[in-house]
Amino acid sequence: MRGEVIEIVGRLSSGRTSLLTAWLTDVTRRGGFVALVDADGAFDPSSAVRAGVDLRRLLWVRTGSRRDTALRAVDLLVRCRGVALVAVDLGESPPRLSLAAAFRWRMAVQRAGTTLVILTARRIAGAGATLAVRTARRALEWSGDPRPTRLARVATDVEVLRGHALAAAPHWWCA
Amino acid sequence: MVRVSRLACVRVPWFAAAAIVRCEPTLAERPLVVVQGTPPATRVVEANAAARERSVAAGMTEAHARALCPELVRRPFVEARLASAQHALLTAALGVSPRVEDAGPGLAYVEIHGLGRLVGDDRAVGERLVRLARDVGLEARVGIADGRTAARVASYGDVRVTIVPAGADAASLAPAPLDRLDLPEAVVTTLRRWGIADLGALAALPRDALATRLGPDGLRAHDLASGVDSAPFHPWTPPPFWEEAQGLDWEVHDLLALGAVLEVVLARLAARLSAVHLAADVIDVRLGLVSGAHHERTVALAHPTRDVDLMLALLRLDLERRPPPAAVIDVALSVRPVVARPGQGGLWQPPAMAERDLAALLARLVRLVGPDNVGSPAVDDSHRPDAITLDPFSPPDSVVNDADATTERPLALRRLRPPPVVTVAIADERPARVTRGATAARVVTCAGPWRISGEWWDTRGWARDEWDLLLDDGTLCRLAHDHMTNHWLLDGVYD
Repeated sequence: MRGEVIEIVGRLSSGRTSLLTAWLTDVTRRGGFVALVDADGAFDPSSAVRAGVDLRRLLWVRTGSRRDTALRAVDLLVRCRGVALVAVDLGESPPRLSLAAAFRWRMAVQRAGTTLVILTARRIAGAGATLAVRTARRALEWSGDPRPTRLARVATDVEVLRGHALAAAPHWWCA
Repeated sequence: MVRVSRLACVRVPWFAAAAIVRCEPTLAERPLVVVQGTPPATRVVEANAAARERSVAAGMTEAHARALCPELVRRPFVEARLASAQHALLTAALGVSPRVEDAGPGLAYVEIHGLGRLVGDDRAVGERLVRLARDVGLEARVGIADGRTAARVASYGDVRVTIVPAGADAASLAPAPLDRLDLPEAVVTTLRRWGIADLGALAALPRDALATRLGPDGLRAHDLASGVDSAPFHPWTPPPFWEEAQGLDWEVHDLLALGAVLEVVLARLAARLSAVHLAADVIDVRLGLVSGAHHERTVALAHPTRDVDLMLALLRLDLERRPPPAAVIDVALSVRPVVARPGQGGLWQPPAMAERDLAALLARLVRLVGPDNVGSPAVDDSHRPDAITLDPFSPPDSVVNDADATTERPLALRRLRPPPVVTVAIADERPARVTRGATAARVVTCAGPWRISGEWWDTRGWARDEWDLLLDDGTLCRLAHDHMTNHWLLDGVYD
């Protein structure tokens, strides 16, 4: 998936962050360096460790809720060769991104051989994204009887909005 | 005779002048004297080759020297400059062998026994020492022998590297004059009065009679002249910070000119780091001001490097933000050396980022978001919720062990930092409604409580009940009741 701009969109609690974390796990386990631009500082390292992310290979950039700073940080990172995956988490209120900027990112990631993943509530890259997926929660499972004592599992459906990808079975995330 | 040691003596002739030429290479061809004392009674401490050709010698007054050579360049004797040069010499020697002894200004002994398979024969070792010393700006002579005295005397040879064959120390010492050894002046005077001119004659004297007449100094002189080296080897340990300084004869007012001086000093530091394959991760800048005060800055490099251009750019950026309040007359830099990460990754790993690119990227990100917001997250060894720290980003080279791979895919939590305080309505001992500001949500399903606590033995003790909630707007969140403050906190949202 080198040289791709991928958007993951969805509502809160739909499983989009879990999907991104699984991706970070996969890349760091292969020895790649990943960068996460975190606009809201929402990243939870404990969840990432449980998922198997090698935190030493993760560069975490917190922008303190400043969306424009997050976009500038992405601008810097996508031009850097050697970063296998650049992820930007823009949270629930993504900024406007011009189509020119989106295509500029796309050219940059193609030249640098990296992958850019944009995680947000709605699509912002438009035709600049090579793949866009939407996550939606399908099911919930609780543990404990008769009263639930813990959230057990969450199932997520992934719908492809743009680009070509094989249809996948629902992903189950363990709480 | 079994050879148990092999030593190289690295000697820089006319060391005080060489230390100045190291800082100002343009003076190498010009007549230069190092002077000490208060004008007008300043005296020449040392003169370089060009000055000596014009009959300038150590000990004469500066006025006398200038009368002999009008185009003479003078530089004051600065102890710090000598110390930097000595440190550079020892560092260069460390590039060949880990066992190096500091033997005073311009002199270092290097244990080279066993380096044959790594470097080559004695001549190859000597040539490498000369080359490494030249890399740090010093022209050295090398003598190689079984003992320190013979190695030192050999370093006075006519060629760059003089080798004394194994077991021939005493024979090589015999023709050397007495002043090649560091003997007390009184002993040398007495020996000369006896007609002893060289070390061979000294070694031939009866040892007991020499002890009777000259005491312990006589015995030591006899041992040295005979090539007996019984003193223990004192290995030198590099200090935690490496320093380089440059005094200026003029006042520097603007940052552009200061940058040129910083570049020269950084280049010397980088040469020293390069000799032993280390890199700097912190640079301390100390600028002496014309007002007598000092302007001090500490520049933490985002990634260890010894790239002069990169370090210079970072120093310039820092000094542009906090410029010195007065003209600069003195520059001193010190760096903390650390092991540099090799650029080559594993054969099956994705290509790693070049060290310089990574350092530049991190420096730009630090400028953009601040140093506290860039790094690798690390989970603390604690059960306290959200106990994390941000470490400097330094990706490992080792291949990840896939044996630890888990098949379970955990649900990620999106943290709210700091967790907002919410109002919770309780029904049947369970949360029923959550209100945050003007927004209220009904609890559809809740699970819990999970009671956790820790550090009760400390003032930072904590205790809380955690609940997993499904709200009527579809949000899955984690709510916590803090027993210490009796507040309800919204920890985060499952996503």
